[in-house]
Amino acid sequence: MSAVATQTPENCPAALTSVLRGILALFLWATLPLYNARWTLLPALTGVAMMAMLVGAVIAAPREVIEGDVQRLMYIHVPSASAGTYFAFLIAAASSAAFLISRDIRWDAVARSAATVGVLFTVITLATGAIWGKPIWGVYWTWDARLTSTLVLLLIYTAYLLARSVAGPNDEQAARYSAIFALIGFLDIPLIHFSVDWWRTLHPQRIIFDPRPAVPGEMLLVLLIAFIAITLLMLWLVALRSDTEQLVQRTDRMRARLDQREPA
Amino acid sequence: MDGELEFLFAGFAVVWAGLFVYLVLLQMRLRNLHEEVETLEERLAEYEASADPAPSVTVTPATNSEAATVRSPSDP
Repeated sequence: MSAVATQTPENCPAALTSVLRGILALFLWATLPLYNARWTLLPALTGVAMMAMLVGAVIAAPREVIEGDVQRLMYIHVPSASAGTYFAFLIAAASSAAFLISRDIRWDAVARSAATVGVLFTVITLATGAIWGKPIWGVYWTWDARLTSTLVLLLIYTAYLLARSVAGPNDEQAARYSAIFALIGFLDIPLIHFSVDWWRTLHPQRIIFDPRPAVPGEMLLVLLIAFIAITLLMLWLVALRSDTEQLVQRTDRMRARLDQREPA
Repeated sequence: MDGELEFLFAGFAVVWAGLFVYLVLLQMRLRNLHEEVETLEERLAEYEASADPAPSVTVTPATNSEAATVRSPSDP
């Protein structure tokens, strides 16, 4: 009887929830050791990697023949776009999904923190791209598919943060709607990534995630260091913000409990 | 190009400025949190002072023959 019952369509959501909970447990298992090292190992590794990135980008990397020294901005721009922006919004989307599955409000704090850091790196990406664009393209901005879709991403997550900041830190309904919004907003990232393939754009084609990378080995090595540095910096900033937001949630709950106990 | 280094400098300056602004905002958030915790501590202290004091409890040491007993002043 029970075997028949498990195959009925009514039980499909329960099975889906079990699968999603399994994915959440796997995600926690993979990220928890790094999260636990956020006060000790992560800041030190970030500092060393950032110094290595700066030295690599400004001194060690060879000068590009056509673009000159301004090409060195690539070592900040490309990792900020991929490791900073994409990865931070991936954390925001994954944490939003985790909140919708577990209904644990702490995941909402992680999602908001990751979205804040994602917005920071999107601004850095757009600004460094514009500064590189002026001497190379002759303009700071053009309504190119890659640039426009990145601007849309910035607007989506800025709207998410503004909407979420209106409600209280422990408002579950606002957190639920915001989580859905964050998940939908994440759909813009594949659009950004493949925009250079789908449309005729002024933006350079992908040079890293390609079977035959279009840059020499020394540049690739500095880029790899920059990827590691920006990834560590992003994770550290998300961890700092996330802890702060979880403390805000705890103080908000304490205030609510005191309000209940104290006579009016 | 003479202006290349200026653009390179401007690009790196934007990155550091962005990080600096983010850290300042985070510091402001932490300062607000600090003030909020202080307010809550004051409110908790006022609440505890206004509430009835709990009866004091004395514990008599155990002897060889009997287990430790807990008595309050109101016990007969």
